[in-house]
Amino acid sequence: MNRARILRWSLLLTVLAALLLGASGCGGMTATSWTGMTLKDERLYAADLRQIQVLDPTSGEVFQAFPSNVEDNSFGILYVAPVVGKGYLITASQLPASGFFGSASNVVLKLDTETGSEQWRFAGAAGQYIEGGVVSGGTFVIGNSDGNVYALDVESGELLWTFETGHRVWATPLIVDDIVYIGSMDHNLYALHLSDGREIWRFSAGGAFASMPALQDGTLYIGAFDNRAYAINVADGTERWHFPPEQNGEVWFWGSPAVGDDKVYAVDVKGEVYALSVERGEEIWHHVLEAPVRAGPALSEDGGTLLVSGQNGTLYALDTADGARKWAAEGKGAGYMTPIVDGDTVYEVRIHGTYRVRALELLEGGDGYKELWIYPPETEE
Amino acid sequence: MFDFIAYPLANLILLFYNYLGHNTVVAIAALTVLINMALLPLTLNQQRSARKMQELQPELEKLKKKYGNDRERLAQEQMKLYREKGINPMGGCLPLLIQLPIWFGLYQAIRYCVPTTPLDVFRFSQHIYHWLPGIVGLVPLQSIFLGMDLGQPPNTAQWWSYALPLLVGATSFLQQKLLTPPSASDDQSQAAAMNKQMQIMMPLMFMMFTLNYATGLSIYFIISNLIRIAQYYTLDYVKKGTEQKRNPRKR
Repeated sequence: MNRARILRWSLLLTVLAALLLGASGCGGMTATSWTGMTLKDERLYAADLRQIQVLDPTSGEVFQAFPSNVEDNSFGILYVAPVVGKGYLITASQLPASGFFGSASNVVLKLDTETGSEQWRFAGAAGQYIEGGVVSGGTFVIGNSDGNVYALDVESGELLWTFETGHRVWATPLIVDDIVYIGSMDHNLYALHLSDGREIWRFSAGGAFASMPALQDGTLYIGAFDNRAYAINVADGTERWHFPPEQNGEVWFWGSPAVGDDKVYAVDVKGEVYALSVERGEEIWHHVLEAPVRAGPALSEDGGTLLVSGQNGTLYALDTADGARKWAAEGKGAGYMTPIVDGDTVYEVRIHGTYRVRALELLEGGDGYKELWIYPPETEE
Repeated sequence: MFDFIAYPLANLILLFYNYLGHNTVVAIAALTVLINMALLPLTLNQQRSARKMQELQPELEKLKKKYGNDRERLAQEQMKLYREKGINPMGGCLPLLIQLPIWFGLYQAIRYCVPTTPLDVFRFSQHIYHWLPGIVGLVPLQSIFLGMDLGQPPNTAQWWSYALPLLVGATSFLQQKLLTPPSASDDQSQAAAMNKQMQIMMPLMFMMFTLNYATGLSIYFIISNLIRIAQYYTLDYVKKGTEQKRNPRKR
């Protein structure tokens, strides 16, 4: 065989080996989504890919984990923020494909928080669960990437109803007064009856909805992938206002807005924070951060500080009066979730870093901060 | 790693999607045609080279008979013949190598436009070209085609999606068969055996890895292969036409 032929074959095999290696997805478990966290009854429940860690909010110590053995992958890959009720938690996960021809499956799981045992699982959805669900009146509601909204009986896991939208549903629903408000990538925000999933109204925008709306005084506030934040009448789904009034480029509003007394705060994915009047959506101030932002902002309990988690791992604190920066707490990893505020403490969840959760104490009415703990704690080499 | 290719390709998919009836498959097909047009000088060169190799077979056979026992001399004479005829025996590899980053880039671009994971969407949100007309609000693109999710690999829930890797394998086989120089029927050499193996192995490999990638990428491979096959026959037709003009009596 001549040299050119050998060279050609070697080259070809190298190329194909590279393609197959790329396709095989080798390299361990890599986060393809952000992980969620829930604070309930003085416990933090943090999804941590392989486990849900139950942490002490004051010290960051682990009380327990589901599953208790990290090598036990029967619950699959855990991303979404769990819903915690009396003696149970409900989460959703992806069970990786097994075998060359196998495909990943997606399940909703109910676990006993005392024993960690599985009470039921629902495997009826075809797509991935991106954000968590919500429980109201004995019904668990969650959206799925297969384009459906699923309502399950909390007690039995029985499917109560499904509602089909035209595209993926990545948003967490908001349930108020037995009405489910949920956005879809099909550009619609839907209001559905909690009892049977019947549609009450839909609001259509020019882009996808991927976050939970915020509700205050009869108005829903939500951002969309058409570069706008909307205020919508909760009663009939009509628009009250949108911001900005004119299209100004491809800058999505992804995270849920935060609503204060007279202002609504929204952050676009480029990291521009806006304070808008709740009445007309007029800009009161805006502040440009130096990092992209996926998550919506959170307000401190006194309403004087706006906390924004940047993708660069920094937590920014802005004065809600004028948007001036109070401080920026640098951190490791990437922040994609809205921080959780509880009294004077802020909890952040991270991916791609050396720690998964960080707790900060807000000092002097939010003018300063002190790091309380990180989980897992950094170990000295 | 290949984002410098993926972002422009993803924006092109958005542009085609906007102007071609908001259909993701049509947008990917249009991009495939565009990429193949850009690669046309290379692929034409590859096909011409393959054709010349085919025409050279009788002369190569003669050399084999003449220097069959002296492998070194045979290789030297073969290389001399290639040089005389202006053939680069490695010519077939260059288009393959150039396409490799395009495949990876396109795979990533499809993941950005028809996303299954939110991190991909968020990453892409920072790289959408604002100045392109009509692309506001397009992402994520409509992902369902014939009941298949173009952002997902073939899976048992959508069992018919396995047809796409099969089509990738079939069209790759046909293309490979057309581009591989035929061996004499009595040629039992190692090279001939490897050529035959290559005709089977290449399509199989492509089929296997499209089993693991988003089905949208299979669309690219199928259309690309069909374009190459059409290109081959067009070249054949043009060549025969030219020969007939030169020798009108010859049939």
